[in-house]
Amino acid sequence: MTQSLEKALLPAGLGDGLPPLADFEADMVDRLMASFRSHGYERVKPPLIEFEESLLAGPGAALAEQTFRVMDPQSQRMMGVRPDITLQVARIAATRLRNAPRPLRLSYNGQVLRVRGTQLRPERQFAQAGFELIGDSGVPGDAEVVTLAAEALAELGVTGLSVDISLPTLVPAMCQALGFSADKAKSLRLALDRKDAAAVAQAAGAHADLFAGLLAAGGPADRALERLDALALPPRLRPMVAEARGLLERVRAAMPDLALTVDPSEFRGFEYQTGLSFTVFARGVRGELGRGGRYALEDGEAATGFTVYLDSVLRALPAPDRVPALYVPYGTDLGLLRQFRRDGWRTVAGLAPVADDGAEALRLGCTHVVAGGDVRDLR
Amino acid sequence: MTATEKIILALPKGRILDEALPLVRRAGIEPETAFADEDSRQLRFTTNVPEIDIIRVRSFDAATFVAFNAAQIGIAGNDVLMEFDYPELYAPLDLGIGRCRLSVAEPAALAPGDDPSRWSHVRVATKYPNVTRKHFAARGVHAECIKLNGAMEIAPGLGLCHHIVDLVSSGATLRANGLVEVERIADISSRLIVNRAALKTQPVALGRWIDRFAEVVHANAA
Repeated sequence: MTQSLEKALLPAGLGDGLPPLADFEADMVDRLMASFRSHGYERVKPPLIEFEESLLAGPGAALAEQTFRVMDPQSQRMMGVRPDITLQVARIAATRLRNAPRPLRLSYNGQVLRVRGTQLRPERQFAQAGFELIGDSGVPGDAEVVTLAAEALAELGVTGLSVDISLPTLVPAMCQALGFSADKAKSLRLALDRKDAAAVAQAAGAHADLFAGLLAAGGPADRALERLDALALPPRLRPMVAEARGLLERVRAAMPDLALTVDPSEFRGFEYQTGLSFTVFARGVRGELGRGGRYALEDGEAATGFTVYLDSVLRALPAPDRVPALYVPYGTDLGLLRQFRRDGWRTVAGLAPVADDGAEALRLGCTHVVAGGDVRDLR
Repeated sequence: MTATEKIILALPKGRILDEALPLVRRAGIEPETAFADEDSRQLRFTTNVPEIDIIRVRSFDAATFVAFNAAQIGIAGNDVLMEFDYPELYAPLDLGIGRCRLSVAEPAALAPGDDPSRWSHVRVATKYPNVTRKHFAARGVHAECIKLNGAMEIAPGLGLCHHIVDLVSSGATLRANGLVEVERIADISSRLIVNRAALKTQPVALGRWIDRFAEVVHANAA
């Protein structure tokens, strides 16, 4: 017995999806994809694995250390298993769909594999669903992406949604404008990411007050933008704040009840982002439900998009209700069986006669049984 | 008020608690009387603020509870934050308490003849294996860490290792065990820590408490 159970052991961070959650997850993916489709995003289906050098070129470089590599015995070239699908969609847009009209709206879903899990997401394989808006670099495009992301999640039934808008290029631009060395800028960014006020003060040196102000500016969106306006930012960085305000106004007009925060100092996880970015959280759920933002394709074309992490989404939703299922005893007329399914029943057919149909139905997890041609509720 | 909107404050037991509790009180949070009772087996306590409960845990665990959003706000030394390096923790406020330093020490007898620039490998007893490894790796030295949970100072004398990495405040314990501090890795103080997702989804409620603690700390400093 123990010997056969040992076979159940899977490598760290990998798991078997079982009923009813596997079905539930697939259902959530379908609903997300339907939302994306209804906004004109067309599905693409990249492969699970591709040549490392194309997978990790351009925006993919940031994910190189999260990528599993396999040698392709056929071409003798190194291949990488996708750690993220956005990279692949970016490649498709820049290559095979380079002549497709812009703005190009693409959606995708699938499993990704990463070398290491994190403390919050120990899973090394998980499902993503997302969409990308390619060839547009304006605030209305950003607003479309944020709004669609929040609406699609709200439609799944996620409550207490909150969108955090970040400006990942602001801090690097400030460091450059203030003449910080690369090392100093890096330690400052790390300190800002951890919102470690003491470390920020130390790393920012003479500009400690400015960066302390930046740190303190994070929070509810309106207050954050007011505080940002009050900071002595280098003048050429003002447009970044104006863009964030524009995005905020548009998103608020579309979804007045959505909770919005602004975090001007967050950088982590936005390594390949080149402009306004955002992260979606839900109250009481650890970790983020999804994230997105602007980035550049390998050829420099502007893009923005959003990725949902299905594992977090499932944590944010109540457990699925038990789906009603109808036990149809052995020997029931096939036409009747088909009719039940046309009526929307999930049927479970008996494969042999049994003494007690009701008891058999319950044993198999059914909620209803066919008795005398009629449906009887067992609950 | 639903259970998810309750804010849990994780406080570390022991040395830091004595310094932290006055700050918590001045911020307007008064734990129930059982909290002061050292013999109480209770681990979770209510306070005069209905939405805030306090849990009392080991100092390393305070950071872990907050990192996983099991507690939303807490107090932890930056030694603990450096060791775990949890990306989900924010440390928006230096409380200025629990000041000491994280240092490398070795036996006084060994120090003169030892040239650290020639090391390729050291064996170190410490409660902070991650910080230790990173610290030595930056100098091209591989640190083989022996995880101890206390009394590191006796390890070199008994031949367990040559070096220790530990918190030092006065240095009296080191001296008493024939050790000298040879290198300071970091200055340590306690920080107010907040869970990232909690701060993003409850920015007003948590922001108010961070501001409240900041006022108390600044009033102290003034």
